[in-house]
Amino acid sequence: MKLANPELRSKLAAEYVLGTLRGGARRRFEDHLKLDMDLRAEVAKWETHLMPLADRLAPVEPRGRVWKKIEARIGSSTKADEVRITGGLWESVAFWRNLGLGSSGLAAAMVTMMFVLKPVEQAPMLTAVLAEDDNVARVFVEQPKAGVLMVKMVQPWKTMNGMALELWVVPKDGAPRSLGVINDSGETKLVLARMDEKLAGGMVFAVSKEPPGGSPTGKPTPGMVMCKGAIARMPAKQLQPPI
Amino acid sequence: MTGASSTAPNAANERLANLLAQAGLGDRAAFADLYETTKSKLFAVSLRIVRERHIAEEVLQDSFVNIWNNATKYAVAQSAPMTWMTAIVRNRSLDIVRRPFLEMQDEDDYFATNMVDERPGPEHLLEARRDQVKIERCMKGLDGEQQQTITLAFFQGLSHSEVASHLGKPLGTVKTHIRRGLLKLKGCLET
Repeated sequence: MKLANPELRSKLAAEYVLGTLRGGARRRFEDHLKLDMDLRAEVAKWETHLMPLADRLAPVEPRGRVWKKIEARIGSSTKADEVRITGGLWESVAFWRNLGLGSSGLAAAMVTMMFVLKPVEQAPMLTAVLAEDDNVARVFVEQPKAGVLMVKMVQPWKTMNGMALELWVVPKDGAPRSLGVINDSGETKLVLARMDEKLAGGMVFAVSKEPPGGSPTGKPTPGMVMCKGAIARMPAKQLQPPI
Repeated sequence: MTGASSTAPNAANERLANLLAQAGLGDRAAFADLYETTKSKLFAVSLRIVRERHIAEEVLQDSFVNIWNNATKYAVAQSAPMTWMTAIVRNRSLDIVRRPFLEMQDEDDYFATNMVDERPGPEHLLEARRDQVKIERCMKGLDGEQQQTITLAFFQGLSHSEVASHLGKPLGTVKTHIRRGLLKLKGCLET
Protein backbone atom coordinates (compact mmCIF):
# COMPACT_ATOMS: atom_id res chain seq x y z
CA MET A 1 0.00 0.00 0.00
CA LYS A 2 1.26 3.41 -0.88
CA LEU A 3 0.24 6.64 0.68
CA ALA A 4 0.02 8.67 -2.47
CA ASN A 5 -2.73 11.10 -1.61
CA PRO A 6 -1.08 14.21 -0.11
CA GLU A 7 -4.17 15.13 1.89
CA LEU A 8 -4.35 11.67 3.39
CA ARG A 9 -0.64 11.77 4.18
CA SER A 10 -1.01 15.05 5.98
CA LYS A 11 -4.11 13.90 7.85
CA LEU A 12 -2.46 10.65 8.98
CA ALA A 13 0.73 12.47 9.99
CA ALA A 14 -1.31 14.97 12.00
CA GLU A 15 -3.33 12.29 13.75
CA TYR A 16 -0.20 10.26 14.40
CA VAL A 17 1.41 13.23 16.12
CA LEU A 18 -1.80 14.19 17.90
CA GLY A 19 -2.03 10.60 19.10
CA THR A 20 -5.45 9.70 17.76
CA LEU A 21 -4.00 7.30 15.21
CA ARG A 22 -3.96 4.15 17.31
CA GLY A 23 -3.58 0.41 17.34
CA GLY A 24 -2.86 -1.35 14.07
CA ALA A 25 -3.20 1.87 12.08
CA ARG A 26 -0.48 3.51 14.20
CA ARG A 27 1.85 0.56 13.73
CA ARG A 28 1.21 0.45 9.99
CA PHE A 29 1.88 4.16 9.78
CA GLU A 30 5.16 3.65 11.66
CA ASP A 31 6.10 0.99 9.10
CA HIS A 32 5.49 3.54 6.35
CA LEU A 33 7.60 6.08 8.22
CA LYS A 34 10.64 3.82 8.13
CA LEU A 35 10.62 3.82 4.35
CA ASP A 36 9.19 7.19 3.46
CA MET A 37 11.42 10.20 4.04
CA ASP A 38 8.78 12.68 2.90
CA LEU A 39 6.30 11.22 5.34
CA ARG A 40 8.88 11.60 8.12
CA ALA A 41 9.24 15.24 7.11
CA GLU A 42 5.47 15.65 7.29
CA VAL A 43 5.49 14.14 10.78
CA ALA A 44 8.38 16.40 11.81
CA LYS A 45 6.39 19.40 10.58
CA TRP A 46 3.40 18.42 12.69
CA GLU A 47 5.62 17.74 15.68
CA THR A 48 7.07 21.20 15.35
CA HIS A 49 3.55 22.57 15.17
CA LEU A 50 1.93 20.64 17.99
CA MET A 51 4.65 19.80 20.55
CA PRO A 52 4.88 23.38 21.85
CA LEU A 53 1.37 22.83 23.21
CA ALA A 54 3.03 20.71 25.88
CA ASP A 55 4.44 23.88 27.33
CA ARG A 56 1.02 24.53 28.82
CA LEU A 57 1.62 21.79 31.34
CA ALA A 58 2.94 22.69 34.76
CA PRO A 59 6.20 20.80 35.37
CA VAL A 60 6.03 17.76 37.64
CA GLU A 61 9.15 16.40 39.35
CA PRO A 62 9.85 12.72 38.84
CA ARG A 63 11.41 10.86 41.76
CA GLY A 64 15.18 10.68 42.05
CA ARG A 65 15.24 6.94 41.47
CA VAL A 66 14.26 7.48 37.81
CA TRP A 67 17.64 8.95 37.02
CA LYS A 68 19.41 6.17 38.91
CA LYS A 69 17.64 3.62 36.76
CA ILE A 70 18.45 5.53 33.58
CA GLU A 71 22.09 5.69 34.62
CA ALA A 72 22.16 1.97 35.26
CA ARG A 73 20.63 1.30 31.87
CA ILE A 74 22.95 3.49 29.85
CA GLY A 75 25.90 1.68 31.28
CA SER A 76 27.88 3.97 33.46
CA SER A 77 27.82 6.33 36.35
CA THR A 78 29.26 9.73 37.04
CA LYS A 79 30.14 8.48 40.50
CA ALA A 80 32.31 5.93 38.85
CA ASP A 81 34.23 4.74 41.86
CA GLU A 82 31.21 4.10 43.98
CA VAL A 83 29.02 2.35 41.50
CA ARG A 84 30.46 -0.59 39.74
CA ILE A 85 28.88 -1.32 36.44
CA THR A 86 28.70 -4.94 35.47
CA GLY A 87 30.37 -6.33 32.41
CA GLY A 88 28.57 -6.85 29.17
CA LEU A 89 26.94 -3.49 29.45
CA TRP A 90 28.79 -1.95 26.57
CA GLU A 91 27.64 -4.69 24.31
CA SER A 92 24.14 -4.23 25.54
CA VAL A 93 24.25 -0.53 24.78
CA ALA A 94 24.86 -1.51 21.18
CA PHE A 95 22.19 -4.13 21.62
CA TRP A 96 19.65 -1.59 22.83
CA ARG A 97 20.53 0.76 20.06
CA ASN A 98 19.38 -1.83 17.58
CA LEU A 99 16.17 -2.52 19.39
CA GLY A 100 13.05 -0.46 19.47
CA LEU A 101 11.63 0.99 22.61
CA GLY A 102 9.27 -1.92 22.82
CA SER A 103 12.12 -4.12 23.90
CA SER A 104 13.22 -1.93 26.76
CA GLY A 105 11.53 -4.23 29.24
CA LEU A 106 13.75 -7.01 28.00
CA ALA A 107 16.77 -4.74 28.28
CA ALA A 108 15.78 -3.84 31.82
CA ALA A 109 15.52 -7.53 32.63
CA MET A 110 19.01 -8.03 31.24
CA VAL A 111 20.40 -5.27 33.42
CA THR A 112 18.73 -6.77 36.47
CA MET A 113 20.21 -10.10 35.60
CA MET A 114 23.67 -8.65 35.09
CA PHE A 115 23.61 -6.73 38.32
CA VAL A 116 23.23 -9.87 40.38
CA LEU A 117 26.46 -11.20 38.99
CA LYS A 118 29.11 -10.57 41.56
CA PRO A 119 31.99 -8.45 40.30
CA VAL A 120 35.42 -9.99 40.55
CA GLU A 121 37.45 -7.89 42.92
CA GLN A 122 40.98 -8.67 41.87
CA ALA A 123 42.66 -7.92 38.58
CA PRO A 124 46.26 -7.48 37.60
CA MET A 125 47.43 -3.92 37.10
CA LEU A 126 48.50 -3.21 33.59
CA THR A 127 49.61 -0.43 31.29
CA ALA A 128 49.88 0.13 27.57
CA VAL A 129 51.04 2.87 25.24
CA LEU A 130 49.02 2.97 22.06
CA ALA A 131 50.85 4.26 19.02
CA GLU A 132 50.12 4.78 15.37
CA ASP A 133 51.96 2.78 12.74
CA ASP A 134 54.63 5.49 12.57
CA ASN A 135 55.19 5.13 16.33
CA VAL A 136 53.50 8.38 17.32
CA ALA A 137 52.18 7.67 20.81
CA ARG A 138 48.57 8.73 21.08
CA VAL A 139 46.94 7.05 24.02
CA PHE A 140 48.12 5.81 27.40
CA VAL A 141 46.06 3.17 29.21
CA GLU A 142 46.52 2.16 32.81
CA GLN A 143 44.62 -0.02 35.22
CA PRO A 144 45.07 1.54 38.66
CA LYS A 145 42.81 -0.99 40.34
CA ALA A 146 40.36 -3.73 39.58
CA GLY A 147 37.50 -2.69 37.38
CA VAL A 148 38.94 0.70 36.45
CA LEU A 149 40.84 1.75 33.37
CA MET A 150 42.33 5.22 33.05
CA VAL A 151 42.70 6.28 29.45
CA LYS A 152 44.78 9.35 28.72
CA MET A 153 44.92 11.03 25.35
CA VAL A 154 48.63 11.81 25.06
CA GLN A 155 48.33 13.42 21.67
CA PRO A 156 44.78 14.07 20.48
CA TRP A 157 43.88 13.93 16.83
CA LYS A 158 43.44 17.39 15.40
CA THR A 159 40.15 16.70 13.71
CA MET A 160 37.54 14.21 14.73
CA ASN A 161 34.88 15.22 12.19
CA GLY A 162 32.14 14.21 14.58
CA MET A 163 33.58 10.74 15.03
CA ALA A 164 34.00 9.05 18.42
CA LEU A 165 36.93 7.04 19.74
CA GLU A 166 36.31 3.52 21.00
CA LEU A 167 38.75 1.47 23.06
CA TRP A 168 39.12 -2.24 22.38
CA VAL A 169 40.96 -5.06 23.99
CA VAL A 170 42.19 -7.68 21.56
CA PRO A 171 42.69 -11.18 22.98
CA LYS A 172 45.33 -13.54 21.67
CA ASP A 173 42.74 -15.35 19.72
CA GLY A 174 39.24 -14.10 19.32
CA ALA A 175 37.36 -10.97 18.43
CA PRO A 176 38.19 -7.53 19.88
CA ARG A 177 36.03 -6.63 22.86
CA SER A 178 34.74 -3.11 23.28
CA LEU A 179 35.65 -1.30 26.48
CA GLY A 180 33.62 1.75 25.59
CA VAL A 181 33.82 5.14 23.98
CA ILE A 182 36.61 7.38 25.25
CA ASN A 183 37.05 11.15 25.21
CA ASP A 184 39.04 12.52 22.29
CA SER A 185 41.10 14.65 24.65
CA GLY A 186 42.12 14.58 28.29
CA GLU A 187 41.37 11.57 30.43
CA THR A 188 38.59 9.03 30.48
CA LYS A 189 37.90 6.79 33.42
CA LEU A 190 36.28 3.57 32.31
CA VAL A 191 34.60 1.62 35.05
CA LEU A 192 33.41 -1.86 34.23
CA ALA A 193 32.90 -4.59 36.75
CA ARG A 194 33.95 -7.98 35.45
CA MET A 195 36.48 -5.94 33.55
CA ASP A 196 39.19 -8.46 34.27
CA GLU A 197 37.05 -11.05 32.52
CA LYS A 198 37.02 -8.75 29.52
CA LEU A 199 40.72 -8.16 29.80
CA ALA A 200 41.51 -11.84 30.32
CA GLY A 201 43.83 -13.03 27.59
CA GLY A 202 44.02 -9.54 26.17
CA MET A 203 47.29 -8.88 24.39
CA VAL A 204 46.69 -5.51 22.79
CA PHE A 205 44.62 -2.37 23.30
CA ALA A 206 43.39 -0.60 20.19
CA VAL A 207 41.47 2.61 19.54
CA SER A 208 39.25 3.01 16.52
CA LYS A 209 37.34 5.96 15.10
CA GLU A 210 33.66 5.15 15.06
CA PRO A 211 30.35 6.88 14.55
CA PRO A 212 29.23 8.83 17.62
CA GLY A 213 28.16 6.42 20.32
CA GLY A 214 30.52 3.70 19.16
CA SER A 215 30.74 1.04 16.50
CA PRO A 216 27.30 0.03 15.31
CA THR A 217 28.52 -3.49 14.55
CA GLY A 218 30.11 -4.21 17.92
CA LYS A 219 33.44 -4.67 16.17
CA PRO A 220 36.04 -2.09 15.19
CA THR A 221 35.15 -0.63 11.81
CA PRO A 222 37.65 -2.02 9.28
CA GLY A 223 40.32 0.48 8.37
CA MET A 224 39.45 2.77 11.27
CA VAL A 225 41.84 1.39 13.90
CA MET A 226 43.95 4.45 14.67
CA CYS A 227 46.47 3.17 17.16
CA LYS A 228 47.31 0.11 19.20
CA GLY A 229 49.78 -1.07 21.81
CA ALA A 230 50.81 -4.22 23.66
CA ILE A 231 49.51 -4.68 27.17
CA ALA A 232 52.19 -4.84 29.87
CA ARG A 233 51.01 -6.62 33.01
CA MET A 234 52.64 -5.78 36.29
CA PRO A 235 54.27 -8.56 38.33
CA ALA A 236 51.85 -10.43 40.54
CA LYS A 237 53.60 -9.40 43.78
CA GLN A 238 52.17 -5.92 43.38
CA LEU A 239 48.66 -7.26 43.70
CA GLN A 240 46.87 -6.62 46.91
CA PRO A 241 45.78 -9.80 48.69
CA PRO A 242 42.11 -10.70 48.49
CA ILE A 243 40.06 -9.46 51.42
CA MET B 1 4.30 36.97 30.61
CA THR B 2 6.15 36.34 27.37
CA GLY B 3 7.98 39.58 26.81
CA ALA B 4 10.72 39.04 29.34
CA SER B 5 11.85 35.81 27.75
CA SER B 6 11.98 37.06 24.19
CA THR B 7 15.55 35.85 23.66
CA ALA B 8 15.55 33.03 26.18
CA PRO B 9 13.96 30.25 24.10
CA ASN B 10 16.68 30.35 21.46
CA ALA B 11 19.45 30.32 24.04
CA ALA B 12 17.72 27.48 25.88
CA ASN B 13 17.25 25.56 22.63
CA GLU B 14 20.85 26.04 21.69
CA ARG B 15 21.97 24.80 25.08
CA LEU B 16 19.78 21.69 24.83
CA ALA B 17 21.00 21.03 21.30
CA ASN B 18 24.60 21.22 22.53
CA LEU B 19 23.87 18.87 25.41
CA LEU B 20 22.26 16.41 23.01
CA ALA B 21 25.28 16.59 20.71
CA GLN B 22 27.62 15.93 23.63
CA ALA B 23 25.44 13.09 24.86
CA GLY B 24 25.67 11.65 21.36
CA LEU B 25 29.43 11.51 21.82
CA GLY B 26 29.03 9.57 25.04
CA ASP B 27 29.30 12.50 27.46
CA ARG B 28 27.38 11.35 30.52
CA ALA B 29 27.72 14.63 32.39
CA ALA B 30 26.06 16.44 29.49
CA PHE B 31 23.35 13.81 29.41
CA ALA B 32 22.76 14.21 33.15
CA ASP B 33 22.46 17.96 32.60
CA LEU B 34 20.00 17.36 29.76
CA TYR B 35 17.91 15.16 32.04
CA GLU B 36 17.95 17.68 34.88
CA THR B 37 16.90 20.48 32.55
CA THR B 38 14.02 18.67 30.87
CA LYS B 39 12.78 15.97 33.25
CA SER B 40 9.95 17.83 34.94
CA LYS B 41 8.45 19.09 31.67
CA LEU B 42 8.69 15.69 30.03
CA PHE B 43 7.42 13.90 33.12
CA ALA B 44 4.34 16.14 33.11
CA VAL B 45 3.71 15.23 29.45
CA SER B 46 3.81 11.52 30.19
CA LEU B 47 1.93 11.70 33.49
CA ARG B 48 -0.98 13.43 31.80
CA ILE B 49 -1.25 10.60 29.28
CA VAL B 50 -0.53 7.51 31.36
CA ARG B 51 -2.00 8.96 34.59
CA GLU B 52 0.02 6.85 36.99
CA ARG B 53 3.27 8.04 38.47
CA HIS B 54 5.10 4.76 38.36
CA ILE B 55 4.13 4.20 34.72
CA ALA B 56 5.11 7.75 33.80
CA GLU B 57 8.45 7.14 35.49
CA GLU B 58 8.90 4.00 33.44
CA VAL B 59 8.12 6.03 30.32
CA LEU B 60 10.66 8.67 31.33
CA GLN B 61 13.29 6.00 31.87
CA ASP B 62 12.63 4.31 28.56
CA SER B 63 12.54 7.65 26.77
CA PHE B 64 15.86 8.84 28.16
CA VAL B 65 17.56 5.53 27.37
CA ASN B 66 16.19 6.01 23.87
CA ILE B 67 17.38 9.63 23.78
CA TRP B 68 20.85 8.51 24.90
CA ASN B 69 21.01 5.81 22.26
CA ASN B 70 19.67 8.06 19.51
CA ALA B 71 21.22 11.38 20.46
CA THR B 72 23.42 11.22 17.38
CA LYS B 73 20.32 11.09 15.22
CA TYR B 74 19.05 14.31 16.71
CA ALA B 75 21.29 16.30 14.39
CA VAL B 76 19.25 15.14 11.44
CA ALA B 77 15.90 15.48 13.15
CA GLN B 78 15.75 19.15 12.14
CA SER B 79 13.47 20.10 14.97
CA ALA B 80 13.92 21.93 18.24
CA PRO B 81 15.43 19.69 20.93
CA MET B 82 12.40 19.93 23.17
CA THR B 83 10.13 19.06 20.24
CA TRP B 84 12.22 16.01 19.45
CA MET B 85 12.31 14.82 23.05
CA THR B 86 8.65 15.56 23.71
CA ALA B 87 7.72 13.48 20.66
CA ILE B 88 9.79 10.57 22.01
CA VAL B 89 8.10 10.78 25.41
CA ARG B 90 4.63 11.08 23.88
CA ASN B 91 5.18 8.16 21.54
CA ARG B 92 6.39 5.99 24.40
CA SER B 93 3.44 7.09 26.54
CA LEU B 94 1.00 6.24 23.77
CA ASP B 95 2.72 2.87 23.29
CA ILE B 96 2.15 2.12 26.93
CA VAL B 97 -1.45 3.24 27.20
CA ARG B 98 -2.42 0.92 24.41
CA ARG B 99 -1.09 -2.05 26.35
CA PRO B 100 -3.89 -4.58 26.55
CA PHE B 101 -3.75 -4.97 30.33
CA LEU B 102 -4.33 -1.27 30.75
CA GLU B 103 -7.08 -1.15 28.17
CA MET B 104 -8.91 -4.03 29.84
CA GLN B 105 -9.19 -2.31 33.20
CA ASP B 106 -12.61 -1.23 34.28
CA GLU B 107 -12.51 2.37 33.32
CA ASP B 108 -14.47 3.88 36.20
CA ASP B 109 -12.63 1.97 38.85
CA TYR B 110 -9.30 2.50 37.16
CA PHE B 111 -9.78 6.22 36.91
CA ALA B 112 -11.08 6.50 40.45
CA THR B 113 -8.07 4.80 41.95
CA ASN B 114 -5.26 5.90 39.71
CA MET B 115 -5.98 9.29 38.28
CA VAL B 116 -3.66 12.09 39.14
CA ASP B 117 -5.17 15.45 39.89
CA GLU B 118 -6.56 16.68 36.62
CA ARG B 119 -7.32 20.15 37.86
CA PRO B 120 -6.59 22.69 36.71
CA GLY B 121 -7.31 21.29 33.30
CA PRO B 122 -5.00 21.84 30.36
CA GLU B 123 -6.96 24.83 29.17
CA HIS B 124 -6.17 26.62 32.40
CA LEU B 125 -2.50 25.82 32.49
CA LEU B 126 -1.59 28.39 29.93
CA GLU B 127 1.99 29.41 30.43
CA ALA B 128 2.69 30.21 26.85
CA ARG B 129 6.22 31.23 26.07
CA ARG B 130 7.29 33.13 23.07
CA ASP B 131 7.85 30.02 20.98
CA GLN B 132 4.43 28.73 21.94
CA VAL B 133 2.62 31.83 20.85
CA LYS B 134 1.94 30.60 17.35
CA ILE B 135 0.27 27.31 18.18
CA GLU B 136 -1.68 28.96 20.96
CA ARG B 137 -2.86 31.71 18.65
CA CYS B 138 -3.91 29.13 16.07
CA MET B 139 -5.67 27.02 18.70
CA LYS B 140 -7.69 30.05 19.66
CA GLY B 141 -8.81 30.30 16.05
CA LEU B 142 -10.57 26.94 16.31
CA ASP B 143 -14.15 26.65 17.40
CA GLY B 144 -14.81 25.41 20.92
CA GLU B 145 -15.49 21.77 20.05
CA GLN B 146 -12.43 21.52 17.83
CA GLN B 147 -10.26 22.95 20.60
CA GLN B 148 -11.77 20.66 23.19
CA THR B 149 -11.35 17.45 21.18
CA ILE B 150 -7.81 18.25 20.05
CA THR B 151 -6.80 19.28 23.56
CA LEU B 152 -8.19 16.08 25.08
CA ALA B 153 -6.46 13.95 22.47
CA PHE B 154 -3.12 15.72 22.77
CA PHE B 155 -2.79 16.08 26.52
CA GLN B 156 -4.51 12.97 27.74
CA GLY B 157 -3.54 10.72 24.86
CA LEU B 158 -7.15 9.79 24.18
CA SER B 159 -8.17 7.96 21.03
CA HIS B 160 -11.14 9.07 18.93
CA SER B 161 -13.47 6.71 20.74
CA GLU B 162 -12.14 7.70 24.15
CA VAL B 163 -12.66 11.37 23.35
CA ALA B 164 -16.19 10.48 22.19
CA SER B 165 -17.06 8.62 25.36
CA HIS B 166 -15.41 11.27 27.50
CA LEU B 167 -17.58 13.98 25.92
CA GLY B 168 -20.67 11.82 25.41
CA LYS B 169 -20.63 12.58 21.72
CA PRO B 170 -20.95 10.30 18.67
CA LEU B 171 -17.65 8.95 17.37
CA GLY B 172 -18.23 10.36 13.88
CA THR B 173 -18.80 13.84 15.28
CA VAL B 174 -15.59 13.72 17.29
CA LYS B 175 -13.61 12.49 14.27
CA THR B 176 -14.99 15.37 12.24
CA HIS B 177 -14.13 17.96 14.90
CA ILE B 178 -10.58 16.66 15.10
CA ARG B 179 -10.10 16.38 11.35
CA ARG B 180 -11.45 19.86 10.65
CA GLY B 181 -9.62 21.31 13.62
CA LEU B 182 -6.30 19.91 12.41
CA LEU B 183 -6.93 21.20 8.88
CA LYS B 184 -7.67 24.65 10.25
CA LEU B 185 -4.58 24.50 12.44
CA LYS B 186 -2.50 23.53 9.45
CA GLY B 187 -3.79 26.49 7.48
CA CYS B 188 -3.04 28.82 10.36
CA LEU B 189 0.37 27.37 11.30
CA GLU B 190 1.73 27.28 7.81
CA THR B 191 1.00 30.86 6.96
